[in-house]
Amino acid sequence: MPDAIIDLAIFDEHGRCVPSSDLKAEVHRRTRRRFVCIQPEIDYSAIHSRIAGALNDDGGLSRDDFERQARSVLDKVSRDPATSGLAKGIHLPFFLPRMPDALSRDIGSDLDKIYLPAVEKSFLDAHPQSSYTRHHKGSLTGQLSVTGGSRHDRLLQAVSRTTVVGYFFLALQEYSVPASVEQVRRLPDTFLLAGGADTCAAFAGSPSLLLNPDAYPPLLWLAALSAEKLQTAYHLEAYGRNLTFNRRVHFDQAAEYWAAGLTVLAE
Amino acid sequence: MAATNDSVDSKLTSAELTKRNDLRSRKPYVADKLAQIAVMEERGEISPIIRLEKSYLCNFQCTHCSAEFYMDRHLEKTGVTDERRKMNMDDVRTLSRQADELGLARFVITGGEPLVMRDFDEVVAAIDPEKHYVITDTNGWFMDEARAKHIKSIGVEKAQISIDSFIEAEHDAFRNKPGAYKRAMRGIYACLDAGLNLIIQTVLIKGRAHTKEFLDFCEFATKHGIGLYVSYAKPTGSCTQHPEFVIDKEEADFLRELEKKYNVFTHMTPSYGSFKGCITVKGIITVTSSMEVTPCPYIDFSLGNLRETSLKEVLARGMRNPWLGPYRPDCLIGEDPQFIKMHTEKTADAKLLPLPWGQGFSDEDKLIP
Repeated sequence: MPDAIIDLAIFDEHGRCVPSSDLKAEVHRRTRRRFVCIQPEIDYSAIHSRIAGALNDDGGLSRDDFERQARSVLDKVSRDPATSGLAKGIHLPFFLPRMPDALSRDIGSDLDKIYLPAVEKSFLDAHPQSSYTRHHKGSLTGQLSVTGGSRHDRLLQAVSRTTVVGYFFLALQEYSVPASVEQVRRLPDTFLLAGGADTCAAFAGSPSLLLNPDAYPPLLWLAALSAEKLQTAYHLEAYGRNLTFNRRVHFDQAAEYWAAGLTVLAE
Repeated sequence: MAATNDSVDSKLTSAELTKRNDLRSRKPYVADKLAQIAVMEERGEISPIIRLEKSYLCNFQCTHCSAEFYMDRHLEKTGVTDERRKMNMDDVRTLSRQADELGLARFVITGGEPLVMRDFDEVVAAIDPEKHYVITDTNGWFMDEARAKHIKSIGVEKAQISIDSFIEAEHDAFRNKPGAYKRAMRGIYACLDAGLNLIIQTVLIKGRAHTKEFLDFCEFATKHGIGLYVSYAKPTGSCTQHPEFVIDKEEADFLRELEKKYNVFTHMTPSYGSFKGCITVKGIITVTSSMEVTPCPYIDFSLGNLRETSLKEVLARGMRNPWLGPYRPDCLIGEDPQFIKMHTEKTADAKLLPLPWGQGFSDEDKLIP
């Protein structure tokens, strides 16, 4: 259950989640929108193809089913006045193939071996002149866990049962990582804080997310994943026309350059 | 400390590691401090380079000079008397000690033109090259073979020579000094021969990154194993009247592409395992001749005066400031129009720069007023 009563219009006209008034962790109440992404084109067929190719998925989910389920998510949030603002912000459909042992697998190892390579492949396929650099060289095995209260465990539960389809919304701009977790607890149950698998799948489907020739895009935290050390997290970040993955201490601070995503799964 | 150094060293390129090991053999204390920078950042501490502007005396009058409004010649021209107490050697020694206590490791002597300072050697000694990595900026005019060897002998590790075009006539015109290019090029070879580490500094005005001249310059620097440090033109100092010099995102991105091919970098380029983005306070501060501390060479707002406020508190003020402290990928004074506008408006009628703490920056600052 949410920790607080939900107000109408939880998301503003740019799809940003309006910070709850009682958040204790650091968040910017207002934003001047200095760091912004460009909404990628939603071509369900192309996105399906990119994700399937990047994750080596051999076709458990048809393109039509992907589109139908993803559209149902977007239609639902658009119809509800409290969440309709989300559709005006950055939104990316994605799917994750079923993984029966998802709940017992090592999250860091899966990022190392499955999801980050998927991001790299999709990004470089789409932008062969660009580069992907993994600045953090160490293995992630054993380094990551699901942050309590993030609801990201529900994504893993769902993936353990079936192939999941969902939408990733870049809605938590200028939230500290702890504020992202706090905020999710105040949202309807259907909203999950994005972690590694969902963020990477969404990125693999829309690999131009962090490319913006006219403005700097934000740094994208994998906010639902706790690192091996407090106040530390992992992220995707643009470097000009290129993509990087790195680890950074964030000291629970908010910054106008920082963002995290929300995930909503199809029912 | 060795185990930590090993982990930091693993993030260095082979060229960075070679330089670090050479320094470690000669100045282990300084090398260890440098190796600690990434570790400090992991703890939330900072180790900015300290730019020391003890004197603004200069033999050039450059079109884009960020220090012009600090210079005696400007104050004379505008009829302003500067009665602020100026930095002396005791101040430098005190600053060196405070910096060392905080783990800071690098000083850049700048100006003005450092090599016209009669007390240059004394300043180096006051900084203490056994405790800090000492760098000097220079326009290269006086950097001949003998001078390069001399400054190396007194403990300077690195020179940063400014050249603003690889085309001689353009550089001389930009610098308003015939012969400037030839002297700067002579300085490059003198520094290399003397065993000084060397970078070439160049100012990027809008459109320049796409020119043949710039690419030729990148090629030259790379071929000689010299880093080409590119500073975006900022709308401050002499450049205030040239907002058209300010680059856009496309050009900044293009420059990042050139980093893949050439030995070219900006202050936002990740280096030595550190990912700071805009380096205001986090990677650099400037101490002006009146002991005011500014967060970058181009921002004329003080974070405090070191005669009234400790270096530790000044740095803390900077890190808690919403413009300066948080990590950001863009150059605050070179790319953020809102900050540039505020900076231009606040400094427009100032008789003396920088604006003291409370008049430019303060603890009340907000990104959105």
